[in-house]
Amino acid sequence: MGHAQKATEFNKDEAKVNWHDKALWYVREKRDKSAHNVQGWEYLRQLGSGIKANVLSNLDKYLIQFETNAKNNGIQVHWASNAEEHNTIINSILEKHNAKKVVKSKSMLTEECHLNPFLESKGIEVVDTDLGERIVQLAEEPPSHIVLPAIHKTKEDVDVLFQEHLNTKPSGGNPEYLVGEARKHLRDKFLNADVAITGVNFAVADTGGVVVCTNEGNADMGVHLAKAHIACMGIEKIIPQEKHLGVFLRLLARSATGQPITTYSSHFNKAEEGKEMHIVIVDNGRTEQLSREDFRASLHCIRCGACMNTCPIYRRSGGHSYDYTIPGPIGSILSPGKDLKKHSSLPFASTLCGSCSNVCPVKINIHEQLYKWRQIIVQEEKQPIVKKSILKTAGVVLSKPKLYKMAGKSARFALKHAPRFMIYNKLNAWGKARDLPEVKHESFDEWYKKRRKNE
Amino acid sequence: MSREAILKAVKKNKPEVLPLPEIDESAFQEDIDVVKTFKDNLALVGGQVFEITTDAIDAKIKEQYPNKSTIVATTTKSNLGNVEIDKNTDPHTLEHIDLAIVEGELGVSENGAIWITANNSLVRALPFITNDLVIILDKRNICLHMLEAYDNIAKRDRDFGVFISGPSKTADIEQCLVVGAHGAMSLTVLLV
Repeated sequence: MGHAQKATEFNKDEAKVNWHDKALWYVREKRDKSAHNVQGWEYLRQLGSGIKANVLSNLDKYLIQFETNAKNNGIQVHWASNAEEHNTIINSILEKHNAKKVVKSKSMLTEECHLNPFLESKGIEVVDTDLGERIVQLAEEPPSHIVLPAIHKTKEDVDVLFQEHLNTKPSGGNPEYLVGEARKHLRDKFLNADVAITGVNFAVADTGGVVVCTNEGNADMGVHLAKAHIACMGIEKIIPQEKHLGVFLRLLARSATGQPITTYSSHFNKAEEGKEMHIVIVDNGRTEQLSREDFRASLHCIRCGACMNTCPIYRRSGGHSYDYTIPGPIGSILSPGKDLKKHSSLPFASTLCGSCSNVCPVKINIHEQLYKWRQIIVQEEKQPIVKKSILKTAGVVLSKPKLYKMAGKSARFALKHAPRFMIYNKLNAWGKARDLPEVKHESFDEWYKKRRKNE
Repeated sequence: MSREAILKAVKKNKPEVLPLPEIDESAFQEDIDVVKTFKDNLALVGGQVFEITTDAIDAKIKEQYPNKSTIVATTTKSNLGNVEIDKNTDPHTLEHIDLAIVEGELGVSENGAIWITANNSLVRALPFITNDLVIILDKRNICLHMLEAYDNIAKRDRDFGVFISGPSKTADIEQCLVVGAHGAMSLTVLLV
């Protein structure tokens, strides 16, 4: 099922779609307000983009430097070419510690690698501790947004879910009550966990340390209570120097939620005495994306989600319609690189309005990359016959001015006088949910000429 | 083995070397009252802040948190601590700490964040596991923005450190902001 079909499903509940649309737009507005408060914001984005471009062009050296510094601080560094290796490495660390209970803070990489089902099949309890992630975990769903994983759920949905799994009382969806109950439930998990797994927001080459950002404090509650910490990162999380955090931490939270910074920005450089720290560095298709000149800038992404919040398609189709770990505009340029056939509908899930590129804190040319993927997809993947023949006809008509004029005239005539069933048929995708605009009796060309004559 | 494969693939696929941009910090310069902006931003992120003298610290804490029974203070600036901890304290035993009083190293005006190290909290879990948190900060140690902050903390022993900006919070249920997720339920900053 392609994006359009899945989006149709999401759109069946109109009230919910409207709420989803508005809620995300509100986050986008908060982002604007927050960004405009920063002196030199555009320069900051420029720096973010420039530093990331330098990182990609020197990535092998930075990775080695990072590894050396991390090892000097007693951190154990592992490398995984793909998801399977990543999962196996983590399982072997857990086995070494005889770990049966694991708490995990937000990590899109472990979602990408399907770590949870893998560990569960080995008899290990994995608890996602970010509240939004816990909600979707209990609902047995993937996150629908990378920063707001449960944005597709109403508070009433959460109420029912918690009644079932946490034995809460019906509260009609009282957020304070539900968060309080989740706090108790997860505190118990933190206190009894053997190992904590976290993602990585930034890995600093010149110190060998990693930074993890949360608002809830769940990464720290997990790490500081467990006897071992495993941090999982894609190779592109590297930044050259610690002072560059001064650029990226200024950009990240403002772009994500409009906060000036996340509540906690935790810098892990060494394990606490008597404990262990591991870092797993993962490729899983990233080096291949690095080879694609037109698309490598997608690896600049710092996972803020701003492109999702601003996207008119994402807001009205929901994260699950993308059927990929990273949804939205950025997911639509990352996913075809992983599996062109499976994700071939995603680069078309865009109006190419460019809003995603405008808000991206590291200036990824997202909408241009979407357009470039389309060029590749129409060459390599079979397109629907209707789309193909319509575009072919349009190509002929648009290349011949006389034909174009005639086609315009007859279309205007037909739209005015033809019966409704002839116009609003299967070929007219635009007319599915709305009426066509009122038809004028003259073309722009005719109107313009007349106007000039009258001047 | 994967290490070599990944590094080899990166080397083969990476573009020509692009320069690392120099950061021109003058672009971020602002002539503002950093203490005032810090206080405003701290309020924005849900914390409360009081500017007081050192000898008024304990009275202020008692006024703000009158009913706390288990208190850890890792700073000599407060005498309210009644639970002793040291670097070897098992963090699990801090489960029922009502209030933690720690010193902050550095405040950041642009976002109300305060830098706390493992040295400040003795046990890393303390500022997270405590029900409520008080941070004492010297107002002379407030800088303008994060770039300046990293200059200030560049020469430190790197083990663990955290920027804390306000109490823990979540908006994961229908975008309703709820203060008090997994970390401290409230944050009070005493500027001295």
